[in-house]
Amino acid sequence: MLYTLILIISAVAQYFGPWWTMPVVCFALCFWKSETAKGAYGVAFAAIATLWLGYALFLDNATKGVITQKITNLFLGNAPYKSLLFAATSLIGSIVAGFAGMAGYYCRKAL
Amino acid sequence: MKYIRALLSLLVAGGLTYLLNRPIAVLPALGPFFSPFTGFWQNADAPLKLPPTDVQLQGLKGTVTVKYDDNGVPHIFADNDEDLYFAQGYVIARDRLWQMEFYSLVAAGRLSEKVSPLAVDFDRYNRRLQLPEGAAKLADAFLKDPVSKMIVESYSAGVNAYIAQVTYKNLPLEYKILGYEPEPWSPLKTGLVEMVMRKDMNARSDDYRMSNILAKYGKETVNALFPNYPIEESPVIPAGTKWDFAPVAVPKVPEMMKATLAANLDLEAENPGIGSNNWAVHGSKSATGLPILANDPHLGLTLPSIWYQMQLHSPTVNVYGVCVPGWPGIGIGFNKDVAWGMTNVGSDVFDLYKIQFKDTTQKEYWYNGAWKATTLKVNEFKVKGLPEPVRDTLIYTHHGPVLTNHGQKPFSADAPVGHALTWVGVEATGNSVKGLYLANRGKNYDDYRKMLPLVAAPAFNVVFASNQNDIAITSNGALPLKYKEQGKFVMDGANPANNWNGWIPMEQVPYVKNPARGFVSSANQFPADPTYPYYLGWKFAPGERGIRINERLAKMEKATPDSLRLLQDDNFNVEARRTLPMLLKMIEQNPSAKALPAFSILANWNLKNDPDQVAATIFERFVKEFRAAVWEDEFSMKDDNVPMLYPTRDVTWALLQKQPTAKWFDNINTKDKVETGAELVATIFKATIDSLTLKHGPMSPKTWAWGTAKSTDIKHLVPAFKAFSRMDVINGGGGSIVNATTESGHGPSWRMVVQLDKTWPKAYGLYPGGQSGNPGSPLYDNMIDGWAKGQLNELVFLKSKDEKHPKIVSEMKIGKSK
Repeated sequence: MLYTLILIISAVAQYFGPWWTMPVVCFALCFWKSETAKGAYGVAFAAIATLWLGYALFLDNATKGVITQKITNLFLGNAPYKSLLFAATSLIGSIVAGFAGMAGYYCRKAL
Repeated sequence: MKYIRALLSLLVAGGLTYLLNRPIAVLPALGPFFSPFTGFWQNADAPLKLPPTDVQLQGLKGTVTVKYDDNGVPHIFADNDEDLYFAQGYVIARDRLWQMEFYSLVAAGRLSEKVSPLAVDFDRYNRRLQLPEGAAKLADAFLKDPVSKMIVESYSAGVNAYIAQVTYKNLPLEYKILGYEPEPWSPLKTGLVEMVMRKDMNARSDDYRMSNILAKYGKETVNALFPNYPIEESPVIPAGTKWDFAPVAVPKVPEMMKATLAANLDLEAENPGIGSNNWAVHGSKSATGLPILANDPHLGLTLPSIWYQMQLHSPTVNVYGVCVPGWPGIGIGFNKDVAWGMTNVGSDVFDLYKIQFKDTTQKEYWYNGAWKATTLKVNEFKVKGLPEPVRDTLIYTHHGPVLTNHGQKPFSADAPVGHALTWVGVEATGNSVKGLYLANRGKNYDDYRKMLPLVAAPAFNVVFASNQNDIAITSNGALPLKYKEQGKFVMDGANPANNWNGWIPMEQVPYVKNPARGFVSSANQFPADPTYPYYLGWKFAPGERGIRINERLAKMEKATPDSLRLLQDDNFNVEARRTLPMLLKMIEQNPSAKALPAFSILANWNLKNDPDQVAATIFERFVKEFRAAVWEDEFSMKDDNVPMLYPTRDVTWALLQKQPTAKWFDNINTKDKVETGAELVATIFKATIDSLTLKHGPMSPKTWAWGTAKSTDIKHLVPAFKAFSRMDVINGGGGSIVNATTESGHGPSWRMVVQLDKTWPKAYGLYPGGQSGNPGSPLYDNMIDGWAKGQLNELVFLKSKDEKHPKIVSEMKIGKSK
């Protein structure tokens, strides 16, 4: 449930607002609904990993990968590891999300 | 405890968000950059881009319709000229915003502020060349004339209307990576873009190297090896053309400063392949009976491309062609009645003066028998990553700025210590925007002549053709009125006779209309033969391209656009035709050289620099190595202390042919032996094969083929963005070939052929890039493959807004907002 909520609400927020609305949404929803610190971290991490990876894969597919290889090469020279770019994308988002979710849980506990 | 946990976890989450939201060292801000909602993922365009949505903008008078064809070319239809140039700015910013601002940063000397601190020396040099001051003068000229004022202001408003819409999500990729944002556009920035062009075209000189040669070998040797006109040449204005004007008095030749050996220089290679071809054939030589015009400007090949295709339509104009992003109007193109094109005139317009300062404070210098005060100016500029701005003190003399102060390290060989510069780039203003306004609306030859005086610098060979069956060419621009050889060597800055003395009258610059031979052409060679009454410079681009073009055009009958396309792609090697028989005879005298398989390959060569030719690879490499072997010992270009210049290839071959035992062929470093030209040819031939083997492996038709060995790279404007470059494009040609694609990445940056017609012209064109400046767009580099093969696209030139054309794929309406 929380997983779905984070996915949908943060997607709407990020679509209209800047990227950092994402950790704010994770914080708020986990503040409201999460059960444990580990759980908060895990669910936020998983939801954003799904969202960022899924959306990146969708864009890559819709644009026939026109930018994926170029950005990979920009960072990694001639290495052909496109998958690293997808991994980096989902990790950068989900680590922030995880910590924001965990902070949400701990803040509620502190009140 | 629970408070500490809450605080700590908040700190970690908040801190992480904060860190990811800002650039770290060379990395972009990773959060927004990687987010698929805002980052680079959003810069990817689908193969079939959705039609652009209609927009409402402030500053428009009416509604503008923009139709895009399948190559991404916008066709703009406006009800008035204000809206037309507004829309031009808006539409080009959509595709090329980052690039146009990049050009303006280059000329403003601000790359190190925005892009990279590594550019600090480059910035300092561009500021010392006075590119910012020159741009300010240009902008003043634009704003003084009501027409050009309307154009540059409307164009700026259009660019700014786009900038106002941009959010991080749709910011061009380069901004996201480099971590800065676009600034508002202005008429001054259009001036800056023009200054970049002026610098690229003619801001370099051999003065310093020539002075060193003069000091060491004397005037006689200079006259013999560095003559003021080539041995083989086919000038722009046909030799023998009568000059129908009374020339003005030319300044007297003053007493020459005693040449001294100079030191303290960085080295720079010879002039890069900045050159171009253009020509027009008269109706008497074409299939339809009306002229055909062709142009291919050769510039540094970059991504995004220097050119952008457009059609501009309003009640006063309907024109198609290419423009430089940031510079309003159409630069090279055609309308219903006329077509025009440009190539660079490589006249000597960049002169150095030796300044004698009173003391190390450099506050006074010797001039006309007295001490004259200098003006000091401190340039201050920000550098990315530095807390304090960089300061640079400039010393101005009446000649211009001192390029390198005592105690500084010169940026290039063009900028020796303690020398002041006079350069046409900041001396001549003109009004290029008004000039293009007139060119775009030209109807006939008279309109063409009227537009020319406005385009002052860089000087261009402007070719022209009309559907009234007129063809013409003018080596047009502000050309300083010089005494013979003025500026061939560094000049004495103390002698007033060395000052620039006004300009060649505009109506007396070299030109010809409807010459008897039935065509006009230029390829950056000498504008005129030695009967021309004014001195323009001692060295222009090598003559081979012009010779070949003129030969082929002379023979051409019933020409079609396709015959001219094939000529643009001509790979014939005129230099090889001139020299190969002689070279082969010389190689034959050496049995071990003759025995090499490369010898028979060269002997059986069709003399074409086609991509599959191994002989072309051998010949081109041989020419390079031979020239260095003959001249490096006496006229070293690599000597850091006293750099000199090799005599031209033209002079080298004439010497080998007429005086094969001349002392120059002897290597002064071998004391016990006197080499002849023929011996040197054979030795260098063997050495050439060795170095090619080292570079490409043992000889094979695949790895030694000219296309592979030459391998043209089309690089992104930021050298570090290799991932956005197209490397190793396979094609033929070469520096002195009509198809002038070089190893260094210069070449035909736009190819255009226009068949004039009484009712509607037919035109073809293509450039090595794409309309979009976005590396994530399928239209970023889509024309490169066709370009490498020498193909041209048929251009979509619409008669009106309502014309239905199968290649128009989308339409955008720009309306005024309430």
